[in-house]
Amino acid sequence: MRDKQDIQKEVRKNERTAGEGQTGLVFFPAFDWAISPTHPEREERLLYTRDQLFEEGIMDLPQIRQYQPRLAELKDIARVHFCVPDVETQATEAHRIAAGGALVIADALMSGEIKNGFALVRPPGHHAMRVVHGNRGFCNINNEPVMIEYLRKKYGLQRIAIVDTDVHHGDGTQDIYWHDPDVLFISFHQDGRTLYPGSGFTDEIGGPLAAGATLNVPLPPGTTDEGILYVLDNLVLPVLDEFQPELIVNSAGQDNHYSDPLANMAFSARGYALLNEKLSPDIAVLEGGYSVETALPYVNLGIIMAMAGIDYSNLYEPDYRKDIFKEERGNLKRLEDIVHELTGIFRLRQELAEKTRRQGSGSLLQRHRQIYYDTDQIRETQLETLKVCAECPGYLLIESAAIARKGRHRVYCISIPIQCCLRCRQEARDHYAKMQRRNSNSFDYVYLQDRPADVYLQYDYRTKKERVF
Amino acid sequence: MLIGIDVGGTFTDGILCSEGRIINSSKHPTKKDDLQDSIFAVLDDLLQDLTNYEIKSNITQVVLSTTLVTNLLVTGGGERAALVLIPGPGLNIRQMEFFPHTYITEGATDFRGRNTEPLNEAQIEEIGKLIVAEGIGKVAVVGKFSQRNDSHERRVEEILKGRYPQLEVIRGFEVSGQLNFLRRAATTYYTAVTRDKWASFAASIKKSIRERGITSPINILKADGGTMPLNVSLDCPCETIFSGPAASVIGALALTMDRYTSVVVDIGGTTTDLALILEGKPLYASRGAVVGGRYTHVRSFAVRSIALGGDSAVRWVGNKIVIGPDRLGPAACFGGPGATPTDAINILEEGKLGSLSLSRKALEEVSRQAGLTVRGLAQTIVSRVNDQLKDSIKEMFKSWEQEPAYKIWEIIHKRQVKLERVVGIGAAAGAFIPSLADSLGCQALVHHYSPVANALGAAVARPTLTLLLHADTEQRSYYLNLEGISGRISSGFQLEDAKELARKQLKIIAKKRGIGRYADRYEYFLEEQFNMIRGWSTVGKLFDVGVQITSGIIDEFKGVQMHS
Repeated sequence: MRDKQDIQKEVRKNERTAGEGQTGLVFFPAFDWAISPTHPEREERLLYTRDQLFEEGIMDLPQIRQYQPRLAELKDIARVHFCVPDVETQATEAHRIAAGGALVIADALMSGEIKNGFALVRPPGHHAMRVVHGNRGFCNINNEPVMIEYLRKKYGLQRIAIVDTDVHHGDGTQDIYWHDPDVLFISFHQDGRTLYPGSGFTDEIGGPLAAGATLNVPLPPGTTDEGILYVLDNLVLPVLDEFQPELIVNSAGQDNHYSDPLANMAFSARGYALLNEKLSPDIAVLEGGYSVETALPYVNLGIIMAMAGIDYSNLYEPDYRKDIFKEERGNLKRLEDIVHELTGIFRLRQELAEKTRRQGSGSLLQRHRQIYYDTDQIRETQLETLKVCAECPGYLLIESAAIARKGRHRVYCISIPIQCCLRCRQEARDHYAKMQRRNSNSFDYVYLQDRPADVYLQYDYRTKKERVF
Repeated sequence: MLIGIDVGGTFTDGILCSEGRIINSSKHPTKKDDLQDSIFAVLDDLLQDLTNYEIKSNITQVVLSTTLVTNLLVTGGGERAALVLIPGPGLNIRQMEFFPHTYITEGATDFRGRNTEPLNEAQIEEIGKLIVAEGIGKVAVVGKFSQRNDSHERRVEEILKGRYPQLEVIRGFEVSGQLNFLRRAATTYYTAVTRDKWASFAASIKKSIRERGITSPINILKADGGTMPLNVSLDCPCETIFSGPAASVIGALALTMDRYTSVVVDIGGTTTDLALILEGKPLYASRGAVVGGRYTHVRSFAVRSIALGGDSAVRWVGNKIVIGPDRLGPAACFGGPGATPTDAINILEEGKLGSLSLSRKALEEVSRQAGLTVRGLAQTIVSRVNDQLKDSIKEMFKSWEQEPAYKIWEIIHKRQVKLERVVGIGAAAGAFIPSLADSLGCQALVHHYSPVANALGAAVARPTLTLLLHADTEQRSYYLNLEGISGRISSGFQLEDAKELARKQLKIIAKKRGIGRYADRYEYFLEEQFNMIRGWSTVGKLFDVGVQITSGIIDEFKGVQMHS
């Protein structure tokens, strides 16, 4: 199976890269940005990583090509997020540079300048959902979806896989791709019963028309290199092989590390390197990881080395001891069961979507949700409505109300996915026009995210003004 | 009166100048195996019209830019040396190609200067035995993060010298305290390889200069466009590499002395060197000079060399016109063997440069093969040369704009500069620069001193010194990038204290190096501070401060006189 997969990857890459061998690197430590002075997301976070990378001299090696990040456009953000009250409030310069770092890598990859790339940027993004009222889990803007939607728009990519290796469930990315059957989202993370954000269980498998394109692996606390690599070998790689994405993205959190202060796992730097070697992502984007001295310098180096094909056999943390990273028998059994369960769900994905369509084409499916923003202390309630269509993944309506310390916001969001059929597109656009005409006291803003047309609108009921991106 | 001598790959140029006027100049072919001979042929020309009294009292500075160290490193003509590395975790150095006689030993230090693995003393003794058995007398010892704690490097030296007192040991931290272990290893090794030969060269140069009655200070030009006294250069021979291109850049500064953004185009026979001056300040290479395919910690200007010069051979190969990369001899119009870009210009300018008929004759054969008229071919050659230079200049700007940045402020305040001028250096500048500037849409500056601007640059360059300080209040220690200096600080140390300490150290070192006169010309170029938070409280601060006496022109020189 590996052979076949390797060949496919080879073909996929050769088409794009025509023999270029370098690994692109955007290193943007944002040395002048912090959530607050003592917050884990502070200036110091990548300081020792810088020291290690610079002292190592890795950027001097011919395998590495370094790039400068740029500011992502407001439109790049609006393509993914409904920002309340507006894009500028949620996407500050720091966020736009972090997302822009991923865009620089994406462009370099598509132009064939590099064979793969790592956006080693902060602030992180994978807890930021489609609707953004504030910061949750240290995130406002979700860098990977901003990059993926840019790639889809600019280069016409369609099928993409995201493997989220952060210790926390990538609930923001999951939310953004919940209804998208063409984006496979696989997250493995410490069991949500023991860690923020408290989600990411095996029964979270994606929306009714995209079921099986979201796969969650809750890992028992204390899982080691052996356990995570078991999941990689037996679930992630076979599933990727079957899904055949045009691009693999690693949402590369580093807090599975044994020394991370905010989690309880037992992954090592070499484990991360091996993971990236096996996964062979086209693009990796840094997410969390807060063991600033003991883990990050070594893990970041390991990921770069693995992606660039540089020998990492001499990479280890100063306190690394090989013998303490043996997986418990009971844990392995639990992981085997999860892998079995999720493989089954993944294989059934087309059938599950067909079943939904047979039962309710043209109907509206709804779900109620409550979302908690830990950093900014906001409570959001959502009513999400999916139009079930026989031809396409359907369009999405979201009513969202948030209560923050600063005040309340109620918004109405309409999202037209890129694969949307002509009829659904028209329906959704008409619906936006209708909402806009409505003299409403119940909403502050109505949004239209029209990805096929690449037009993003925000109408303010109070000023009666519309912004166009 | 100032004397500048630039020993280039092909020619050695020298000038004698006074109050903005070049009184005398000289050019001799460089004898690769006897640089001193070339230097003194030029020097004697310069001195020939001066009286002994003038030589003794009026010459205030002699600056020499030489390729000796570069030649030693490129041809492998230096001393034999061993390299002992203490890499610790990270890149697998064992699998990387290094220098002959490289030994890797156990032990590790981390980024905070904590020794995380002990040395293996028996192993080091074993390495010493092997080195001595090879008949090698010089050892470069370099540890990863040795600038943050050099105790491992020192202990290795102790063990080696304890057993083998005849060994000469050079420690990495003494050579450079900047981050980058690979560059530190290369620079330390190169220092070990070239130090003795440079010292004997320097001694005999000094002796000969004194024999000629010159009593002024003798300075050596560095790759960063600054000078250092000859005796200081004995410790850091590697700083002298690539001083030739640096001389041209300082020469361009001397010709302009303003705040414009220029590209400096130094057209030689075989190659053209390009450098940028941004708003009056020369641009430095972000990575340090490359020698023998390896990055070093030697600070140098960002210079791009392209294999295209006034004497590049023009040929018809297969079905196209090829210019360079080699040179067969001088241009045909000066009696050379074949067609060159200089001949193309000579034809378009109706024989202004040299013999028109020789140029025509040389181009005729290629033009027949290409199916062009001689004039048509000349135009094609000139536009091809222009295009190639133009593309390289654009690439230089592009790579400058893409230099990595690590702060939001830097991205938001990205500087936009527009090229305003092309400064031509070298004898062929007058022929090529006007049309290049035309096609770039900016002014051309070709001065009648352009042919000797490299030697002028050497003559008027001022001293430079770059100091980096790293301080860690939790460890209560600081260190510098220079001379292996480190020390203790108090836990209440603040950024202002770090800046003050850096400035004081700069002054002390400047004084020690005999350039104290310029110690007040310091400028800070780096100020960083980080709070170290463990749990929810601050346990210390880290500071990085950079202060420098940057490159420029000595005070005595006020600019060239436009008419001599």
